Amino acid sequence: MTLSTCSREKELVEVLAKGHWPHACPEELRVHVTACRSCADLVLVACAFQSARNHSIASANLPSPGVLWWRAQLRRRNQAIERVGKPILFAQVFALSMVLLLGLGLAVSQARHGLNWLSWLDQLPRLPFGPLDRPALSLSSLFTSGWSLTLLIPALATVAVLGGVVVYLASEKQ
Amino acid sequence: MPWEFVLPKSLTGPSTRTASLSTSAEMHMDSDAFAAFYQRSARPLWAYLARVSGDPALADDLMQESYVRYLCAANPPSHLADGEVAARRYLFRIAGNLLRDHWRRPRSTSIDDLPEELFATAHHSAPSDTQARLGPALRQMRPRDRQILWLAHAEGYSHREIAEVTGLVSASVRLLLFRARRKMAGLLQDQPQKSLQAQNSANGRQP
Repeated sequence: MTLSTCSREKELVEVLAKGHWPHACPEELRVHVTACRSCADLVLVACAFQSARNHSIASANLPSPGVLWWRAQLRRRNQAIERVGKPILFAQVFALSMVLLLGLGLAVSQARHGLNWLSWLDQLPRLPFGPLDRPALSLSSLFTSGWSLTLLIPALATVAVLGGVVVYLASEKQ
Repeated sequence: MPWEFVLPKSLTGPSTRTASLSTSAEMHMDSDAFAAFYQRSARPLWAYLARVSGDPALADDLMQESYVRYLCAANPPSHLADGEVAARRYLFRIAGNLLRDHWRRPRSTSIDDLPEELFATAHHSAPSDTQARLGPALRQMRPRDRQILWLAHAEGYSHREIAEVTGLVSASVRLLLFRARRKMAGLLQDQPQKSLQAQNSANGRQP
């Protein structure tokens, strides 16, 4: 199909847009439309669409603008909350991954000792601890020595805190 | 009374008016200005959606969504600063995008999703001759052609404005509009003949 538009199309479009067709337009334009296929198509289609528009506009049943304003307000607030929540979510994921990494590191370090938990404590007295001259951190003396408790309690507290963080993050996710 | 005061305090904050003015869409439009703009633009927008989609219920939904998106947009053209025409064009663009999204979605076969007019009986007022011919003809056109034809001949948009609304190139709009108009004219001219043939065949079957 070749694009062959009429030179009077623009003039006809203006007449149609102003609502001057057919009675208030020049006689020679009316005569031209009867002879020109492109312009006849334009008139037929434009009149049909304008009639349909008038009919549809009259039959439209519109909701209150207040409802739409209210919905837009709510959506904007939800979007704002979502924007604020994104960095918090990122921080949560970061904390969770750090906890998992720490746990994994601890498990690996303990696995190197043949899964013999707390066996490394027996080696600690050989380290240069200054005034310590006996196996202060051996399992047997663990509960009798004040020094060994100062190591055990923070370790347990750390595990408890990390466990709490993990539980909190898991519940937060749900 | 502005509508934002209908919202509970927990949602609106201590000073709704002041807080809301800081948001993007309300920088250029308050609730009263929106109501006035809505009254002027909603009916043409609904007519566009209803005719192009062929489903008045869908047009209701998409029209509401268009206005909500317009209000939530980051930087919409203001009808005060950019003019009513620019704001309307932007609104029609949102509506067109929503229509495209709807057409891309897989079709539902649920009976609940069918438009009510399919089940309507003959108690409605009889449509005019043009109305009766335009509906079937529009259904035979491609969705994009329906959009272009409506924007050009019902809304009176120029090729450049149609290109802006539909996202097409202005030169393509000219060609597509020419083809669509010729096809539509052919369909509108064929409709009376087809209906006459159908009437004749129906009369011939009668005893």
